[in-house]
Amino acid sequence: MAGAGVLSGSRMRSRSRTRSTASPLRHLDVSLIVAVMAVASLGVLMVYSATRNRFGGDPSFFMERQLLFVVLGVGVMAAAASIDYRIFRDHAPLLYIGTVAILVLVISPLGSNRKGAQAWFQLGSFQFQPSEWAKVALIICVAAYAASHRGDLDGQRLLALIGMAAVPMVLIQLQPDLGTDLVFAAILLGMLLVAGARPRHMAAMGLLAMLAVAAVFHFGLLQDYQRSRLTAFLDPKEDTQRSAYNLNQSKLAISHGGVTGQGLFEGTQTNLSYVPEQHTDFIFTVVAEELGLVGSGMLLGFFAFIVWRIWRAAALAKDLSGTLICIGVLAMFVFQIFENVGMTMGIMPITGIPLPFVSYGGSSTLAAFAAVGLVLNVHMRRFS
Amino acid sequence: MTAPVRAGDNARLRMGVLGMVILSCFAALYARLWYLQVVANPESTRAVIINQVRVVPEQAPRGRLLDRQGRVVVDNRVSQAITVNRAEFTNDVDSVARLAALLNIPPAVLVNRINDQRFSPYKPVPVAEDVPESTVVYLAEHRDEFAGVEAAQLTERAYPNGNLAAHLLGYVGEINDREFKDRKGGNYKLGDDIGKSGVEKSYEQYLRGEPGLTKLEVDANGKVLRTLDAQPPVQGHDVQLTLDLDVQKLAEESLAQGIEAARRSTDREEKKHFIAPAGSVVVLDPRDGSVVAMASFPTYTPGDFVNGIKPEVFRALNEPASHYPLNNRAIAGQYAPGSTFKLVTAIAGLQDGLITPATTVLDTGSLQVGNREFKNAGSRAHGRVALARAMTVSSDVYFYTLGVRFWEKNKEVGHGIQDAARTFGLGQPTGIPLDTEARGRVPDPESRKKIHERNPQAFPEGKWFAGDNVNLSIGQGEMLTTPLQLAHVYGTFANGGTLFTPRVAARIARQDGSLVQDVASEVVRKIDVSSMRGPLVAGLRGAVADPDGTAHAAFAGFPSTFPVAGKTGTAQVGGGRQDTALFVGFAPYDDPQYVVAVVMEEAGFGGSTAAPVARRIFEGLAGRPPGPVQLVGGVD
Repeated sequence: MAGAGVLSGSRMRSRSRTRSTASPLRHLDVSLIVAVMAVASLGVLMVYSATRNRFGGDPSFFMERQLLFVVLGVGVMAAAASIDYRIFRDHAPLLYIGTVAILVLVISPLGSNRKGAQAWFQLGSFQFQPSEWAKVALIICVAAYAASHRGDLDGQRLLALIGMAAVPMVLIQLQPDLGTDLVFAAILLGMLLVAGARPRHMAAMGLLAMLAVAAVFHFGLLQDYQRSRLTAFLDPKEDTQRSAYNLNQSKLAISHGGVTGQGLFEGTQTNLSYVPEQHTDFIFTVVAEELGLVGSGMLLGFFAFIVWRIWRAAALAKDLSGTLICIGVLAMFVFQIFENVGMTMGIMPITGIPLPFVSYGGSSTLAAFAAVGLVLNVHMRRFS
Repeated sequence: MTAPVRAGDNARLRMGVLGMVILSCFAALYARLWYLQVVANPESTRAVIINQVRVVPEQAPRGRLLDRQGRVVVDNRVSQAITVNRAEFTNDVDSVARLAALLNIPPAVLVNRINDQRFSPYKPVPVAEDVPESTVVYLAEHRDEFAGVEAAQLTERAYPNGNLAAHLLGYVGEINDREFKDRKGGNYKLGDDIGKSGVEKSYEQYLRGEPGLTKLEVDANGKVLRTLDAQPPVQGHDVQLTLDLDVQKLAEESLAQGIEAARRSTDREEKKHFIAPAGSVVVLDPRDGSVVAMASFPTYTPGDFVNGIKPEVFRALNEPASHYPLNNRAIAGQYAPGSTFKLVTAIAGLQDGLITPATTVLDTGSLQVGNREFKNAGSRAHGRVALARAMTVSSDVYFYTLGVRFWEKNKEVGHGIQDAARTFGLGQPTGIPLDTEARGRVPDPESRKKIHERNPQAFPEGKWFAGDNVNLSIGQGEMLTTPLQLAHVYGTFANGGTLFTPRVAARIARQDGSLVQDVASEVVRKIDVSSMRGPLVAGLRGAVADPDGTAHAAFAGFPSTFPVAGKTGTAQVGGGRQDTALFVGFAPYDDPQYVVAVVMEEAGFGGSTAAPVARRIFEGLAGRPPGPVQLVGGVD
């Protein structure tokens, strides 16, 4: 953990030396890096526990790949931190167009389909999932637009922002990937709140969101499996459906952990693959079953710490764009953590949203590191 | 970039709101985590264990059924079967088509068998039995094309003697809902085999054995990971029957021949062939009440029920035109005993002192009782007859007279005939350990009244008259017995008055031969017949041996080294049906070893149809090679 921190630090030092003598590096939030690395390390371990005796073949296959993602992620984080966020902000239109273009490409025949969603580019043995990157890009673009109007969001500008978010969201819904769209919505709501949207506009959007949810259900815009996944948490006792069965197994695994857990690699629910997608969406069940309330509570504690450091970076930011970038990242993480962990415990609907830094997955891990990199970026340049 | 302008006013407030939202999210997660991991933990721990352990029961091979000499009557055999493990079988069109082609069955049939809900999902489902060796070899050589398909050896019921003694042995079938409910906690599971009738049912608890239990650890897909505990099944106990295979075969052959012959002969009264749809034979050992043979015609093939009877076969067994072959008429058929009942009437008369062996009656061929005239069969006059002679020639008038006397002396002796009948076990189940035994009926004023009240239209008369006593004295009217009861009455008389509970099993033994239980004969009561035995046996012996005896023609030329005594009966049935032919006898009469009762529906005179069947059986019992059943002319 400490080693990883030093590693990232040394890379940045080599770049910043050529740039400025008043190095923002002195204001680097090391505690945030430490917390992120702690969570990411636990994630690698948990991916190993979830996959070591499944799938056949090399038991450390997934673990090694996740480790690689984390190492790459640290690099991405360093890169995202080292280039002044205001440069990103100033190139926001370009970033936006590029993001939309790549989201169009992925639903074209160039993208690949896996588990019913056209959401990936196949690059050798790796998959690149542009919607994860689109989240970070949207944060920068919304921050740039809102800040350029100095937080004065009248109805027209508000609509422009909503439209800005709606284009990638529609493209993502075409994949389809409802979960990521929900993250987009959370990011937008959080940023609008802090960016200065009028309270009546916020209230109206809340109302519209509720109507939209009702309409989506009422007019059957969801596939049956989507509907059953989303509603399984409401009545998991009716376990005729696969989703409800999965949810019950997930809750059982968490509950089985008790206070101290079954011990690392000793989770029986985990070892017998009772919980689906356990190295990705349901990885929290591994933590909870094997490490118990102590381990899973500590993981949530690290997350809370990370969130607090981001919130603090937002408050301390030099300008509105910096604040909004941090708020976007904050909203993204909070929503993903709450939705992902809440889903495994049966208090949120089941959607395919990864747990940042813990769930197996290259694009999501790299995007999360990039997001933290942006926060570090804003934080360390709060005086420059 | 300058500091935020507008947002600055309430930026703190807005950040604060966001902070509160975030705090409540984390609070909710912690609260839920606490609930699941601390509060719900004990319950979940139990659920997890159940989640992962599956108990797969395996039925034990049933015990065998042996005859009294130890010969195997019902066995088990190993069938080469093909099974499908549902967790591993790729249930797609191609796999199904490939397997169906290999097994040479239609794909739809295969799909039905794979989805048979009787089988545990953790247990391979048999989809084909008795497959040729070549199929097994092909499967072994092409394992990769048939994932989850295995060759397995199944143990199932086998009947080396075909349908011999089918009714006594019974059959085995899948447990039904009612049987399952009755045996809650009895270690049965849906889909298990259970004895459905006969000995298979009565001795189910010994035959069934101990099911094996295998505890498996399974993953979420039902894939078996390892065996935690395996308790192999223990085969059921062997039940040695009192049945003698040779005698059983003799009885069934003789009955079938007699029925065939009756169908070819002409009913002179109705000018048509006898229908002779059904009949039964019971052979008892009077010394202990053992069932040596029990035949019921028509019969069925118990092997048809192995692995589930085909619906069309089962339908055919239940069609009226096939005369219900599943019914065991030897214990469930109820017939008017006709003249075979005269033994009971005679014993009643002697016991109550209404006659002595020397009492004579002038038989003029008929008797006027009130305004009704009761006739002998064929109105034949036998002259002055005493008891033995009345039995030999089957004088109805003699017994009519006795019936009238019972009526007249009702005040002193009560319902003496009925009392004697009940003492000999009539009107109630004999207690033979077989399902579906009928109780028969001993009619008296009370039963008459009951029948009338239950159905006044069909039975307009609710009172008992002298004429009813007259009818009862010759086993007519509402008197009903089962063939077993008839054999039982004669056996009890023949052995000197000891009434046993008939038994079908002698011994229950483990597979290593060690004894579980001897099934002893149970004595119900002893009846004093010593003073009347002489004249009554003389009368019964006369029926067979005297030239005027009703069964004399049937037993012509039968060796006196194995002397038979017996009684014919020809019971009128009513409803436009032909007479029931009956014969009950025992031999050797001075030291009885066998009682044989023959009852044939709509087959004519007892002396001409039933007695020849009994004769053939006695021939075999005497150790002579039995010839074909030959019907004879004759009367009641």
